[in-house]
Formats: sequence, structure tokens, C-alpha cells
Amino acid sequence: MIHSVIIFNTSGVPRLTKFYTPIYQSTQTLVQKIYSLINTRSAGLCNFLDAPELEDFLGRRDEHEQLRVVYRSYATLHFVFVVDASESELGVLDLIQVFVESLDRAFENVCELDLVFHFDEVHHILAEIIQGGLVLETNLEEIDSSVRHAAQARKQSFASANPLALGVGGGVGPRSAGIPTPLGWLTGKLTGVGAR
Amino acid sequence: MASNMRGLTQFIADIRGARVRDLEEKRINKEMANIRKKFKDGNLDGYQKKKYVAKVLYTYILGYKVDVGHMEAVNLISSHKYSEKQIGYLAVTLLMHENSDFLRLVVNSIRKDLDDNNEIHNCLALHAIANVGGTEMAEALCEDVHRLLISPTSESMVKKKAALTLLRMYRKHPDVIPAAEWALRIVAIMDDLDLGVVLCVTTLVMALAQDHLEPFAVCYQKAVDRLNRLVVEHEYSATYAYYKVPSPWLQVKLLRLLQYYPPSEDPAIQSTLYTVLETIMNNSAEQSRNMQHNNAQRAVLFEAIGLSIHLDANSPLVGTAAVLLARFISSKETNVRYLGLDTLAHLAARADSLEAIKKHQGTVIHSLRDRDISVRRRALDLLYSMCDVDNSELIVGELLRYLKVADYALREEMVLKIAILTEKYAPSYRWYVDTILELISAAGDHVGDEVWYRVVQIVTNTEDLQAYAARVVYERLKSPASHESLVKVGGYILGEYGHLIANDDGYSPLEQLHVLHTKSQFCAAPTRALLLSTYIKWVNVFPEIKPQLINIFERYRHVLDSELQQRACEFYALASRPDDDELLQNVCEEIPPFPARESALVGRMNKKHGATEDKRTWVHGGKDVNTDREANKQKRTPTGETPANGSASSPPNSAISALLGLDMSAAQTRNFDDNLASPGPAALLSKPSIAANVAVGPNVDRWFEKLSFSNDGVLYEDIQIQVGIKSRYQGHIGQVAVYIGNKLSSPFTSFTTKLDIEDPEALSVTFAKMPPTLIAARSQSQQILHVECKKFFRAPPILTISFLAGAHQTIAIRLPIVLTRFFEHVNLGPTEFFERWKLIGGAPREAQNVFPINLTAGGDIDRDRQRTVVSGHRLNLLTDVDPNPNNLVGAAVLHTSVDGKVGCLLRLEPNRDAKLCRLTVRSTSEDVSGEVLRLLKKPLSVDAAL
Repeated sequence: MIHSVIIFNTSGVPRLTKFYTPIYQSTQTLVQKIYSLINTRSAGLCNFLDAPELEDFLGRRDEHEQLRVVYRSYATLHFVFVVDASESELGVLDLIQVFVESLDRAFENVCELDLVFHFDEVHHILAEIIQGGLVLETNLEEIDSSVRHAAQARKQSFASANPLALGVGGGVGPRSAGIPTPLGWLTGKLTGVGAR
Repeated sequence: MASNMRGLTQFIADIRGARVRDLEEKRINKEMANIRKKFKDGNLDGYQKKKYVAKVLYTYILGYKVDVGHMEAVNLISSHKYSEKQIGYLAVTLLMHENSDFLRLVVNSIRKDLDDNNEIHNCLALHAIANVGGTEMAEALCEDVHRLLISPTSESMVKKKAALTLLRMYRKHPDVIPAAEWALRIVAIMDDLDLGVVLCVTTLVMALAQDHLEPFAVCYQKAVDRLNRLVVEHEYSATYAYYKVPSPWLQVKLLRLLQYYPPSEDPAIQSTLYTVLETIMNNSAEQSRNMQHNNAQRAVLFEAIGLSIHLDANSPLVGTAAVLLARFISSKETNVRYLGLDTLAHLAARADSLEAIKKHQGTVIHSLRDRDISVRRRALDLLYSMCDVDNSELIVGELLRYLKVADYALREEMVLKIAILTEKYAPSYRWYVDTILELISAAGDHVGDEVWYRVVQIVTNTEDLQAYAARVVYERLKSPASHESLVKVGGYILGEYGHLIANDDGYSPLEQLHVLHTKSQFCAAPTRALLLSTYIKWVNVFPEIKPQLINIFERYRHVLDSELQQRACEFYALASRPDDDELLQNVCEEIPPFPARESALVGRMNKKHGATEDKRTWVHGGKDVNTDREANKQKRTPTGETPANGSASSPPNSAISALLGLDMSAAQTRNFDDNLASPGPAALLSKPSIAANVAVGPNVDRWFEKLSFSNDGVLYEDIQIQVGIKSRYQGHIGQVAVYIGNKLSSPFTSFTTKLDIEDPEALSVTFAKMPPTLIAARSQSQQILHVECKKFFRAPPILTISFLAGAHQTIAIRLPIVLTRFFEHVNLGPTEFFERWKLIGGAPREAQNVFPINLTAGGDIDRDRQRTVVSGHRLNLLTDVDPNPNNLVGAAVLHTSVDGKVGCLLRLEPNRDAKLCRLTVRSTSEDVSGEVLRLLKKPLSVDAAL
């Protein structure tokens, strides 16, 4: 089972925190802890980490139910999944990639600022991939179509509520809001550069 | 959409603009105060509520504690506008946890959304339950979720979410899900066309099957079939290929699921599975440039290796795997090294022989010095698992050397493992003592008390070792810095066995005392107390140092610690008694050997293992550890085969013998009733439920009866399905073709067949190959069964067919495989026949019954029919034996592969006037006589179903 999904940037500021099991201490200290575990690891090391240190936060596990941290870094962001022994490590690594690619589709070349200003949307996308700590869907097309489906519904309800706002609404591809965003943090990802 | 709320965007921008944390906090506090006020004033419209809740959520995501907005979120959920509903649900899943009181307020809204016709509302509701649902929600909404999962009108999107939501409910409140009852219906969805649905349902099945192995057993063949379709036949929609690997997640899940079950006995399933595993291993041979592709490929490969090991750790497949793994552990990629070591540890934990792994010992030891702590941990686990008597000195030596430089996080675990290995695989006792003392000196702080207790135990119980141990521990104590644990061991061993070496140079009593006593000042009170006990023992054996010892006791009489003081006083009094007093001698008698007991260390490890209600299918450690663990598990969860068989097989036997001579269907139903009535958990198990499902009715009986003395015909038919049989037998071997016809104009999907044989030792029936999962509209599918009679048997095998045609249907049918099918003709003349007839003699090897018969329309005996029945049961009709032409005489030999052949003779004497008939069967086995009588009587008597 996946216990939590956390995204933070290279300075340790959380951009998304989602817990599928209750946590026992404040989110901030947990993020700091994971950040300190990961930030010190250089690029060549493996993407898996035994994390007995996290037991204080996520509850004590059995000897053989140990938590593992699977993480992957993309330019300025670290994507961290805390999982237990029932998940395949490489599978989770692939799942992170799927998550990132879905974000990329939804936001058309996603960047950190998208995650900041559209945090709700990021949660909706995550909800199409993982539900209650379990993998729901891994097919990019399916994820994308579900996200669009929901966006469509939202747009309709928005339009019906506010007849003057026609065309302004819509959640996906919301660059229209005109917030300047630095480009390119994800461009290397598909070729695998920096995607270790 | 956040961009549609200007206030929110502004808020986020402000926070981003805050240069220092203080300013950020200030801005947030201001906003929260504002929101609190707005909420308090009330009278907000939907848009405003949404906006404020969104702000609260953003604050929460930044890691601040929030205590407002719950009520508004609850209100938003019941809004009719999707955008508001969505934010409401998001807030509920983020801000609340399963025990929140607020959740009670949303149960009704959630139920409404579950029942909604709009599937995106269903999805929102399901997602909320899956994230925060607790016991209460499970109770209230379980039925609704289940309905969404199995309803044929549900969209894939909804089914997926419903499956995972059900799983959540099961985890939170297992009792609300009647797992055994729903099993077949849920497993059937594993054949869904949408791989996303299959993935989610497989996840659900995995969790349920762990606790209910038996009812879910049919998922084994579904999983194998699906893997075969994905891996071998490449039958999947292109969008589910992830970097050209067909849905690696699903493959991993299926491979994992198969590890929860004992290896299948069915040859068809076995061979398919082996093909799948082989293909996966071959696929991995081709390396691609694309990293994602490799990742996905390997994720599957590692799980496949895990499964191969589970199936048979000594198969050639595992040999191939070992070669692959060896390559992996010296790979350049860290991830691969990590997983390679992990999987090798699995292999080491299961394999009979460690030879293949030992070849790579050097590489593994080298990995202990990898620059990544994750890899180092795995290497340690592997070394622990691969250690045995041959390499223990080397491995323990390496571990000890590494211990001195190891990460602190690793040390305690290492010490425990080293101690266990040392004890388990010690080539000699001396080596054991040396190593443990070395361990204590090297990592004193991390050495638990169990470790030194165990040394003491072993030394006490091993006489040859005592002098040696005393000498070694003395030498170690001479070094300036000794750890307290070492002082404890020293105190105990020298006290007991110091006198054994006291005559050697350099080991005099005075020197011993000196060495020990100089350490005592650095030790804590419990250790000092132990040393006092050592001294009193010395008073007994070393009278020459008695004055010094009494002096020490004297001083300790004035320390503040009450325990020490008391001891000192008592010992002082004891030591001051006159020399010829025997009390001291009696008190200081040598310690008797400890009763042999399990090592406390291993006990500690085992306790941890035993308690795991785990998802892992193996643990670190050698093969025996894993075997023990399996055994423990069996003991803890007695839901396995044994009790099921016990209760299901004994009543039928006794019932049948008691009811011998009654008609068969009655006997059958009686047995089934017995089974159903049997109370306790066994009643939930599959055997009785299958029996209860066996189709009954006059037609079913007639078809079965007819086929028990003929080779071809219809076995079952209703408006949807027709089942026909064609069979051939020779000796103890038979081949039965089952034809299953779909009479509907729509296909049967998720078609599943299952065979239940009451006593697999006596009768074996297997599919020649795995049955298809789909039968097209108005078409027929043929399945071949291989039958072998090993011993005498009574109950015919039961074939269970289930399929989805709108609803889920299950039909269980008795297959007409009865004992007489394995008869072969013998030809006997009259003399031979009567000779044998007499030789066998009367009861108990004779079975006889007189029963009423029907006459033909012409009022005559139905001789043709009697001949058909007798010869149909494969008995050779002998002519010229009986002078009365109405009587029938037959002979046959039963062929079984294990118990050999059994001869069987028969006489049928009808009486037209009395409308009665006497049937006599004599055979060398009383079981066979009874059974043949029972089988033949039914179709001959007036009760005949035909």
C-alpha cells in the first residue's frame, strides 16, 4: 500500500502532501525529515530507501512491514512515495513517472508554479491515479480522459452559475490565467535526463 | 480552476511573495481570521464558501494546522454544482480522517451521490470513502458500493473505484463484507475487458484472498490465464502498454497474488504458468536503451523470479533466475543491485542448496561496502540468509570487520544477526566463544542482554569448553578498556570456572581477582552485584584470597544502593562463618546445566515472524526458518484444507455405508444435508457450499444415471446452457470430453470451470489444457478431461461451471465418472465362474439385495434393459453359466493404478411373478461389492429415474 505521496522542491517546501494513513505528528516535521533523508543523497544512488526513521510519524510497523521511501527527482522537484512491502519498488518508480506525465498532459508542459496555483487540480489528477493508497489507473489515456471529464463538468457548472463568465472557466490548460511561469523544468524528463 | 477565484489566486501570490516565514505566517493568520469571521456570520453563497474552503485547503497543504472549514466542506458536498461538490469532497478527504465526527454528517450526501445516475458523482463519492471511510461508513454504504462494482451498467471508471473502495471498507471493517459469499462474483470481474478494472479488482482479490484462500481459489486460474494473455499472447489494448511493457502493474499484482497460494497441482495450469515465467525471463535478456522500459521490464522480472522461487526453488527456471540475479548484483545501476540482492535473499530463504548463491559470495561481501546505505542493508540481509556451516566463519568474520565501521542505524540489527549466525552455524564451540567475545568487545553498546545470557548458557552446558572460556575471557578482561557486558560474562564464567585454570601460570586467584575488581568501579550497580556473587563463589574455592574478599564485602556493606548493601551483608555473614561449616559449600555448589531450550535470540526473531499478518511471502533467514514460519501460520489459521476435508469426507463415508442399498440420490442429499448442518467455521468452507449447489432434479438424476452406464449423452441442460459428455475408458485410464454449449444469443464471459474431487488420492481428474474464458453466442466449447483411477472411490467428481450472462451464474454437476467405468471384461466358463464364486464366499465380501422391478407393457421381465444396464456398467455378460435364461451373470475386473486389480462377479435373478429381483455381487473387496451393487440397483429397480 502507498502510505503517502509528497512533492517538495529542492528547498524542502512542500507542494503536495497526501496521506493515505493517519499521521501522528505535524506534516511539516515529516516533510522536513524526508527532505533531510533525500536531499543528502547524490544522483547515482538508488531510488529506494529504508526508512525506519519515519515510523514515529506513520505509526510503528511490524518488522517485515517496513516502510520504504521511493523517490524520484525532476529538476526542482522531488516526488516521494512512502510505501510498504506489498508494493514493487520499481513499480512505484514507474508510477511516479506516470503521475508526472499525467501532470504534464493536464498542464501542457507543467512547472512548479502550476502545482502551486492549481493545487486542487493536482489533487484531482492524483485521485485518478491513486485511491486510498492503492493504484487505481496507470493508463495515461484513461487518466487524461477522466481528468478532462471532470473539468468539463466543472466548466458546465461554473457556466451555469455565472452566465457572464462563459469561456473564462475551465480547469485544464489554465495558462490563460496569465501567471508567468519559468519553463522547462520538465523538458528533460522524457529522455531520462535528470530523471533518476 | 483556482484561477477562477481571484481572491484565492491573490492569496497564493501573497504567500509566495512573503520574503520570510514570519510574514507568511502573518498573512495566513490574517486570512484565517477573516475566514473564521465570514463563516461565523454565515449567509455565504456557494461560490464564496468554495473560495474560502479552497484557501483553507491551500493553507493546509503548506503544512499549517487548520481548524475551520469542516462544516462548510460538508455543506459543499450536497451542492448541485459539480465545481462546488468537487472542492467539498477534496476538503473532506484532506481535512478529515476516518474518526472525524464530521464524517457522520456526510454519510447521507455520499449515499445520494452513490445512487446518482451521473457517474462522475459516483466517482467523487467513492473516492471520498476510499480515502477517509471508517467502520461506520463501511457499515452504512457497503451494499451500495458492492452494487456499483457488480452492476453490468456501471462504467469502467466507476467499477475501478468501487473495487478499491470495497477494499478500503474491508480493511477497516472486515465483517461487513461477506467475502466467501461474494467471492465468485468478484473474481469473475478479473475477466473484464478493461485492464484498468482488472487491475483494481485484482488488488481487491489479493486482499480478500489472503484471508479467505479457499473461496477465492478460482482466482488462481484467472490470474494465470490473464498473465498468459498479456505476456505470451500479447492480447491487450495498446494504451495499456507502458513503454512497450503490457501493464507492468497488473503483471506484478498477478504474480504476487499467485504467491499467496500453494503451487497448483493442475498440470494444465502449471505448464501455462511455466511458459509465462519463461517468457518473462527471456524478455528481460534484451536490454533496451530506454530507462523506463527497463524499469518496467525488471519490475515484472523480479516479481516473476519471486514467484518461480515460490513454486519450486529447485526448478531449472530458478537456475536461470540465479544467473540473471548474479549479473544484477554487479550491475552499474544502483536500483538493480538493490533489487538483485533483495531477490537473492528470497532465493536463499527458500532454496535447498545455497551453492548457486555462494558462488557470488565475494560480490555480496563487496556490496557491504557499497556507497548507498540501502544497498548495504540488503547485502546484510542476504549474507544473513545465505550463511551456513561451511561459510559461517568467513561471513561472520566479514560482518564483524564491517560492524566496526557500519552505520549506527545498522549496528543493533547486525549484532543480533551475527549472534544468531554464530550460534547456529558454529563449526566448534571454541570458535563460538571467541566470536561472541569479539562481538561483545567490538559493539558492546549494541549487544542486548540475550547475547551474553546465551554465552553463559552454552558454556555451562558444555563441559569441555569451560576451562577454555575462562582463559579467553580472562585474557580479554586484561585489556584496559572492556565493555560492561564483557565484565558480566567474565564475572560469571570466572566465578564458576575460574578454579579450573587457577593452577596455570598467570591465572592465579589473586590475579583473577585483581583483573575483575579493577573493572568494577566503572560498572553500574547490577554488574557490581553480579561481581559480588562471583566473589562469594571464590571464597568457597580460593581460600587463599578469602581475607581480601571479606574486606571487599565489608566495604560494600556501607554503600547506598540497597540491593548491593543487602547482598554484601549476606555474603559477609556467609564468608565469616567457621571454615568447617558446610553451608557455604552447599550454597556455592556448581551450577547445574541449564535445561535445553530454544535460544532466546532465535526466539526473539521468531516472535517477530510469528506475529506478522503480513503481505510478505517469505522472511530473511535460511530455509528452516521459513518452513517453521509456514507451520506456524498453518497453526494460527486453521482455515486450510485439513479441517475442510475432515468434516466433508468422513460423514459421506459413514453415511453411505449406513445407507447402503438405499437409492443413491437420497444418500447424496443426505450427505449434503449433513454437511450443511455441521456447525462451526467449516460450514463456511467451499466443500459444503459446492455440494449444496449441485444441481438436482429428476432430469439431472436421469441424465447422470443414464451416463453412468453409457459413454455419450447429455449431462445437463437448461435454457442457457447444455453440457454433453463423450467418454472413453481403458483400464484405469479414461478420457472424457465435456461439450459446453451456449444457447443464448449473447456470449458467456468470465467462463470458469472447476473440478472438485473428494479424495484426490483415489481419483484424479484434470483438464488437458486451461479452459477458455469466453464462449461465444450459440457456440460450443470442448474440454478434454484426463481421468485416472488410483484406488477405490465412491463419490463422483463435481464440475462447477460459472459464467457471466447478465448476472453471475454457477452450476455444479456430478460427472458420471463412477467405479464401474474402470471395469474390463473377463471371460469365464461355467466351471471357472462357480469356482471363483464359491472361493469368494458370502458376506462380507458378498453384497446382496432384493428389490422390486417394473415389468414391460406386455407383463414380462424387461430383459433388454437389464442387459443394457449390466453390460453398460462394463461387466461381461456370460452365457451358458446359468441354466435359467432370465438370469444374468457377469464378470469384470476393476483396474486401479495404485491398488491393482479387483475381480468382480455378478448374478441377477429376476422373478416375474413376484415383481422382484435379487442382485448378488461378489468381489474380493467388500467395498467394491457394495459400490457395484449400489450403482446397478438404482437403474434396475422401480426407482429408476428413466
